[in-house]
Amino acid sequence: MIPDIITVTWKELREMFVQGDPRGRSKMSLVLLVIIFGIVLPLQNGRDWVSSPISIMVWGWMPFLWVSGIVADSFAGERERHTLESLLSTRLSDHAILIGKILSALLYGCILTWVNLLVSLITVNVAFGHGEILLFSLPLSIGAISFSILVSGLAASVGVLVSLRSGSVRQAQQLMSFGMLALFIPLMLVQFLPLTVRQSLIRDADKINPTQVVLWIAVGLLILDCILTAICMYLFQRSKLILD
Amino acid sequence: MYAIRTENLIRSFGKLKAVDGLSLEVPTGTVFGFIGPNGSGKTTTIRLLLGLLDPDGGKAEVLGFDTVIQPDQIRARCGALLEYNGLYERLSAEDNLDYYGRIWQMSKSERETRIHQLLAPLDLFDRRKEPIGLWSRGMKQKLAVARTLMHRPNLIFLDEPTAGLDPVASAALREDLKSLAQREGVTIFLTTHNLADAEKLCSRVGVINHGQLLAIGSPEELRSSTSAPRLYLTGKFPQQAIEQIRANPLVKKIEVDSNSLILDLTDLGRSHEIVTLLVRSEAELDEVRKEKADLEEVFLSLVEEERQVGK
Repeated sequence: MIPDIITVTWKELREMFVQGDPRGRSKMSLVLLVIIFGIVLPLQNGRDWVSSPISIMVWGWMPFLWVSGIVADSFAGERERHTLESLLSTRLSDHAILIGKILSALLYGCILTWVNLLVSLITVNVAFGHGEILLFSLPLSIGAISFSILVSGLAASVGVLVSLRSGSVRQAQQLMSFGMLALFIPLMLVQFLPLTVRQSLIRDADKINPTQVVLWIAVGLLILDCILTAICMYLFQRSKLILD
Repeated sequence: MYAIRTENLIRSFGKLKAVDGLSLEVPTGTVFGFIGPNGSGKTTTIRLLLGLLDPDGGKAEVLGFDTVIQPDQIRARCGALLEYNGLYERLSAEDNLDYYGRIWQMSKSERETRIHQLLAPLDLFDRRKEPIGLWSRGMKQKLAVARTLMHRPNLIFLDEPTAGLDPVASAALREDLKSLAQREGVTIFLTTHNLADAEKLCSRVGVINHGQLLAIGSPEELRSSTSAPRLYLTGKFPQQAIEQIRANPLVKKIEVDSNSLILDLTDLGRSHEIVTLLVRSEAELDEVRKEKADLEEVFLSLVEEERQVGK
């Protein structure tokens, strides 16, 4: 099954990165992402970019946004462009198709994150190095890499699940946007809490060991990724997809 | 040896019986045309044969494999060009074929050779690097046929391959299909409502309507079984000659126009008797032409017959 998964992933990544749409819009948006996250933000943040724990928030959230932007297309797009039935009539197994789709979205998030990490490191060194070589701190490097994988995996499995059940790419994208909003609302609501409550929250947060928190979040994400992938596998039925 | 064999195959969608007791045998190596109007059950039959849908009743075997128990074995040995061409428009022609070659686990060199082998005769090889999104419909359809043959399948399903093409593109694709089928030696199961396709490409034809098989046989057999052979005559025909013809037992039906006669005969081999009779009755003949009904007439008469029975 592994060669089949690689085949599906190869095609997906080729569509995302190499060929894209004939007008080159997808390539332009990729370049724009690298300009923002690889050049503009590091220039604004200076040396803190490679040492501040805030950076981990960027590398943790951004893959989710990037993957969400493309993953809605995975099945809904194939259905909309009438390529799904041809794909389903090949020798590929259900699992190979599904895992190939999830893996390609995950790799898309990871590749973009890692390219941006690298470009941002070069930017910081060129702009603020002054002869010294600046590197990401070890916890930040490990955190950024592991979070990019886990968060991309989360967005990929949620996106594929939504895309499987959606009639069109637009519908899948709307559902993904609502989901993202639901994730952000609790964070936004924090600012409406009374000042005393917020202060006590900050005091409590200071007492927590950050490494432990990051580890727990990582484990939680891993479990969530596995559960969502299992749900996708359960819901993937050729005959249902054909009739939809 | 049969490539496809179905027995009382049934598939319904709610109250609609899309395939209704279909029993069919397609010998290996033939080009089989499955003709029927829109919504007659052709596409559902292909989906059932590929194991993409399970039947509600009956059974089907494709290349000796059961469609319900062994759909993977069937899909591994078949190629399919379904209702839509299923091509990835953002990819180049080469990448589209390469993808399907990879799916069927062909090696890199095998894929390269095969892409050349398939695209060169279709005049598409030089344009293989272009994204196909900007190609004409006819070119895409040719590429889709090539993709179907990429892994050298034993059997290919073509669902309305010339649908939506203009007459020139349609004729060109038909020629390509014909030569590809001869060169590759595959069994072809072709659905169409284009009767010219069926007539020119198929050695056997099945007519389906409302999910039921109305007739099956070679186009020649269908023509002879469903309609009488015809004799077209032009010239001047005195009333006496027309009466004598009308009374002749060889003549099933007569259509009289000012300068022509169209006769449905029981036996076209004895048409000379009619001509002799007319000459003796002082008819002045300009032209005599023998003709059998074309597949379109056969098809229309079968559908009409079914409609009458339904009433």
